[in-house]
Amino acid sequence: MAILNQKKSKVSDEIPTASMADIAFLLLIFFLVTTTFPKDKGLEVVLPEEGQEVAVSSNNILHLIVRTDGIVDVRRGESTSIQQMRPDDIESVWRQEILNRPGLIAAVKTHPDAPHKYMIDVLDALQLAGAERISLQILEES
Amino acid sequence: MAIKSGGLDRKSKAASEIPSSSLADIAFLLLIFFMVSTVFRTDRERPIEWAAAAATEKIDEKVKNILNIWVERDGTIWINDQSIAMEEVSDVVLPLYAASDRHLVISIRGDRETPYIFMDQLQKELVSAGVVRVVFATALERQMTGPRR
Repeated sequence: MAILNQKKSKVSDEIPTASMADIAFLLLIFFLVTTTFPKDKGLEVVLPEEGQEVAVSSNNILHLIVRTDGIVDVRRGESTSIQQMRPDDIESVWRQEILNRPGLIAAVKTHPDAPHKYMIDVLDALQLAGAERISLQILEES
Repeated sequence: MAIKSGGLDRKSKAASEIPSSSLADIAFLLLIFFMVSTVFRTDRERPIEWAAAAATEKIDEKVKNILNIWVERDGTIWINDQSIAMEEVSDVVLPLYAASDRHLVISIRGDRETPYIFMDQLQKELVSAGVVRVVFATALERQMTGPRR
């Protein structure tokens, strides 16, 4: 009994420091896990390199002319007929067109005064439709 | 010194376990090391309104290889907290592009109302600097949340 008593008093003598490391590691791991870096996101496009202009058959181009009010004029290749639509409708149009002409290029021509968001809407629709060949241009007044 | 059991007993008791008090120091050292070695993005956010897109994807590139170019509504360009004239963009980007070993990705952070002419000028500047990978930064637009504008 006397020995037992002595042992007990030794235990309560000081704060146990052995678990300090566990607490510190717990904190370390907690902060490592909960830290999230805000990842940049957006729509990726690959710009053409300078002087790298490729002549394409004008029949293989789908012209998408973004107007200042966000309405898009769609013109197929060399035909002169213009179809007006909202950016949302471009996705289904592209899916149909690409079936007929697999190498189709989307030429997005935006009016200089059109807000950036309308071009993004069109680019968004094209990327949703899986378009790979997209050319971004500015609409030149003719 | 030796009170009850004598010196021999005390000595064996000290060696009987690994000293654990320094473990905490090691843990804190690691903690401080990671805190110090973590590099955060340096440039401050400009007040812009994001354009939204449903096809928004995360950029598959290291954070240090991404350069933000902010385009405000009036066409002012901001790179690394500095306002830069449109004609000087290629001069600013070119050395950064070379330093990144041609891995640089430009994140164009344009206000949704920015007239497209500024975005076109910026793209031309980037092309003349040789940059090919460009991301139009957008906010993720969730579909099925009503009609889109």
